[in-house]
Amino acid sequence: MDRAVLQVDGVTRRFGEVVANDDVSLRVRAGQVVGLLGHNGAGKTTLVSQVVGLLRPDAGSIHVGDVDAVAQPAAARRGVALQAQGQAPLDGLTPRTAIELSGRVRGLSAREARRAALDLAEVLGITPWLDRRALPDGAGLSGGVRRLTAFAMAVVAPTPLVVLDEPTNDVDAARRRALWGAVRDLADRGAGVLLVTHNVVEAERVVDELVVLDRGRVVGAGTPAELRGTEDAGLRLELHLLPGDDGPGPAPMPVARRLRTGRRVLLGIASHDAAAAVSWAAHLRDQGAVEGYALGPATLEDTYLALTASTAGAPTTDRIADPTDAPSTDPKDEELTRA
Amino acid sequence: MPDATALHAHPATRPAGVTPPPRPGPLSTYATLVRWNVAQVGSVLPLVVVVQALLAAGLVVGFGFLIPDITPDVALHLSTGAPTVLLLTVGLVIVPQGVARARADGTFTYLRSLPVARPLLLAAELTVWLLVALPSVAVAVGVARLRYALDLAFDWPLLVAAAVLVTVTATAVGYAIAVALRPMVAQLASQVLVFFVLLFSPITFPADRLPAWFAAVHDVLPVRPAADLLRAGLAADVYPASGRDLVVLVAWCVLGLLVSVRALVRRA
Repeated sequence: MDRAVLQVDGVTRRFGEVVANDDVSLRVRAGQVVGLLGHNGAGKTTLVSQVVGLLRPDAGSIHVGDVDAVAQPAAARRGVALQAQGQAPLDGLTPRTAIELSGRVRGLSAREARRAALDLAEVLGITPWLDRRALPDGAGLSGGVRRLTAFAMAVVAPTPLVVLDEPTNDVDAARRRALWGAVRDLADRGAGVLLVTHNVVEAERVVDELVVLDRGRVVGAGTPAELRGTEDAGLRLELHLLPGDDGPGPAPMPVARRLRTGRRVLLGIASHDAAAAVSWAAHLRDQGAVEGYALGPATLEDTYLALTASTAGAPTTDRIADPTDAPSTDPKDEELTRA
Repeated sequence: MPDATALHAHPATRPAGVTPPPRPGPLSTYATLVRWNVAQVGSVLPLVVVVQALLAAGLVVGFGFLIPDITPDVALHLSTGAPTVLLLTVGLVIVPQGVARARADGTFTYLRSLPVARPLLLAAELTVWLLVALPSVAVAVGVARLRYALDLAFDWPLLVAAAVLVTVTATAVGYAIAVALRPMVAQLASQVLVFFVLLFSPITFPADRLPAWFAAVHDVLPVRPAADLLRAGLAADVYPASGRDLVVLVAWCVLGLLVSVRALVRRA
């Protein structure tokens, strides 16, 4: 079954001189989670806004199922559920009321909406907050519970296409796991999911395919395995630099890819060079040239950083990425930045 | 919480897609949206009523201090104008501020992304503001009767129709201001409108006290026609209703609705 629930072809959208989307094409099929990755400002939200009829493309076509979303935005919107990047309007509502009302708007009966709200709250771990009222200025409910409620509001009724724009922002680590599980489950039950995120590491676990946007253009697309590639860089050596340090000199083994993100340098190396790499990294650490190192299989993050760095006009892929855009793979860092 | 990894097992065959539930009818959607709006406004509702009561007292009692030896007809004019000031304040000031806030915090965009006919969003919002604003007529009349012991001759059908029309017009125009202008400018415009309505509009004083040219301007603005129509409903024995006022008010109402719906439907 290869029915496309979303087909975007050659979409271009400008804001004055800025080209926010430049000839973007992608497809989401029923039962599939497609990740749309990109740094802040890559054009992800602009694309989503065109899918739900908030913006009109300058060129190209968008189809939601069989409906031309550019010509008939209202009809297309009935086939899409969006969790927007901003917070949902919850002030004055409890999560239970908000989820039930969303279900009713999307055609559920009162009984179905009540049942769905309870089930989703259980899956997402927000049952204790189900009847707590959200108050203005962020009072009453935490940002994480609000975000999970917004997710539940988007997915409460079966919808052919679900668009999730940064659904994990503000959500703690344990509930993020539950949320990713729920996203996967949505697709397994037949929805097409377009997952907009800059959290490469976590997205990799749930997506079937990925589309990488950089400066409005698609710079990579395929399954995670296809994007990771089987080139020589089967392993990743990660060096943790000292504050203010520029990084070590050339490595004693062939390096397929070298990236710098914050205080980390990521080197793509072949599996048979593992011993040489560890010995070099240990030497650097003993000399005090680096704080520490780690060797592991190459990840999608490496590919993502390389893809998005190569079009940024940098002479090499040695680019300092915004640490907020490129999440660390270090579980400790994850906890510090996300918890 | 379920184990996320267990949920990650991909099915061997891809599922055949999702069939959404049947689309709810417009009435059902409208009812849901009204509930949504009521739930959101509910927490600030007592505050709005208190503010309206204070404003009514300020107008009826406070403006009375400006006029020494207030006569019964002046008191009647002042008192029958007070409800209009309150309705216009809700529509032209509180509504634009609420909409400006909704635009700034993403609520406006969120609602526009829902799978509902967008005019229904406006209809639900107007309904809720109607519920919020209408009690202010009773509040203002109550304060006036307490202060001046007035004997009013209600024309109930006219009073109800005028109150609804004035509120919908003020709310639609306020909504239009908020969606047509940038949020900051809309907030500023609504502040300026308070002064215009309170001080420079023949609501609590007769239009013949204004320069002729300014009175003529008020013939085509919605403020004076709104006040006179409502006045005719409150003291039918003294003030006649004018068909021209009705036409002017309806025209402003339609204009406000058109601008608002266009802003809701339009894609940037």
